[in-house]
Amino acid sequence: MVLDLTMSMAILALMGALATIAGCIEDLESDVGSQSNPNSQVQLAPQMNFLHRIYNKAISGEPISNGLSAVTGGVVTTVLLNARFYPLMAIVIGALIAAVIYGIFATTSYAGRVASQARFKQPLYMDIMRYTTPSIIGHNFIVCFCLVAIAYIQYVILGYPFTIPFLALIWGISVGAIGSSVGDVHYGGEREFQNREFGCGLNTALSGRIVRKAESGLRTSLDNVWFCAKFGGPATGIGLGLTVFFSSWPTTIWGYTWTAMLVGVIILAVMTIMNRLVEIQVKNAYGPYKEDKEEKGAVAVAHTH
Amino acid sequence: MVALVDPTTLIDILLIGLSGTLICLAVHFIPVGGAPAAMAQATGIGTGTVELAAGSGLVGLITSSYMYAHEPASSMVLIMAAGAMGSAIMLASTMLAGGLIYAYGVAVPFASAQVKRDPITRQRQDTYISKGTQGQGIPTICFVSGVVGAALGGAGGGLIYFVLMGYYTPLIAATSAAAVAGVFTMGVFYVNSVIPSYGVGGTIEGVHDPKFRRVVPKDVVTSVIVSMLCGVVAILIAGGMTP
Repeated sequence: MVLDLTMSMAILALMGALATIAGCIEDLESDVGSQSNPNSQVQLAPQMNFLHRIYNKAISGEPISNGLSAVTGGVVTTVLLNARFYPLMAIVIGALIAAVIYGIFATTSYAGRVASQARFKQPLYMDIMRYTTPSIIGHNFIVCFCLVAIAYIQYVILGYPFTIPFLALIWGISVGAIGSSVGDVHYGGEREFQNREFGCGLNTALSGRIVRKAESGLRTSLDNVWFCAKFGGPATGIGLGLTVFFSSWPTTIWGYTWTAMLVGVIILAVMTIMNRLVEIQVKNAYGPYKEDKEEKGAVAVAHTH
Repeated sequence: MVALVDPTTLIDILLIGLSGTLICLAVHFIPVGGAPAAMAQATGIGTGTVELAAGSGLVGLITSSYMYAHEPASSMVLIMAAGAMGSAIMLASTMLAGGLIYAYGVAVPFASAQVKRDPITRQRQDTYISKGTQGQGIPTICFVSGVVGAALGGAGGGLIYFVLMGYYTPLIAATSAAAVAGVFTMGVFYVNSVIPSYGVGGTIEGVHDPKFRRVVPKDVVTSVIVSMLCGVVAILIAGGMTP
């Protein structure tokens, strides 16, 4: 389908918005289910005598499990589209089936992981499973809906050469990679070790000694997702939203030319500068942890002369 | 039977080998901190090598395939550039958003544990490393190294896609050719992301890391052999293709 510039930009904006929601909710899903790298601490805690009430699923690495879910949604959607279903209905049913399958994986994974920790006396809390699993399914449904919708737009409206399931798979892997790199740091680096002083760094010796008390009562994964929704989730959404928007924006405006590539390079340069500005600000704000021995030595020498 | 000794076929296999090697080399540039970085205990991005390299490379595959579909006459270099741009923008967005979390969510200054001063900004690194960690966050050198690496990987992915589409399109329908070429490119991405993760042992800070010089030659040789093998397989599977 050939679109004029205004319509192309509108479609691109819609895709960016969908990607932002998908990225945000994907990270929150990985926090409520405790997946990916920070889950190593949840897994380690019972071995350090820190029994906890946190969900422990980690079906696989985040990109792969989200890719699996998205491709399932994409396949079901394609089948329903071939059966002449209305597109929105097809995407919703596809995402729902994918989310339920994801929920099954989450349940078996939680039960299996906790069962393997029986020797460390970690109990399997049935109330946690009952209350948290629907939340995981709900989050995954939104992620899957957004990703399959992006794949649908790309395939049907923009005319990408790949099919809906393959595009959904690629976006599923990408959203997982971004969620694992961005939002999980907020969960693993801050929320799991919230009892230490803010900004003091995270000593490796603290491994496995996760915080188990909540603002009220014992901490569960639902408390974690409440906290991470304030920053980790939205930041992940920005990451995926920027990716989807800026990877297509130059070619949408300037066509398939070297000018578009040059604009891409300029975007990269701007992002590098922004990262540098953040680096300067945090270095000034928190300062060095150690004194500079060389400079201290030089000052001492200067005083003796 | 497909003639493997045909000069055009040999060039295709060589190009696939070259692009696979490009992807393998690219992974070494990307600052991957693995699980320790997810807890702000190591410099780099807080996820695994394979997932990150594949995640960014596949976004590059989407952009390059779209360009190939709409401008079939565009040159090989332009397709590679499209892949490089998509891939680099994905990684830069990830590092920027990740940096925001390190800066304001965990509140740690960015510091590299491998160099005393950042080679680009000349700023001290060692004094900013918090107690009991191997650095944290994404300093400028890691950011630049990551962007360069992602661009190399995306260019490699674009090249494989270009070569395979040129080979498969006359044999089968265009949609099927795109599907086979896309899935095969994804496979080559995964193969060439796994090789470096053995070499670097899960974490590397980028081009300034001493590991880079130590492991790149070995990994590149391995990748050349494995990618050429992938190229042979890519040509062999075309033997069963009928229009």
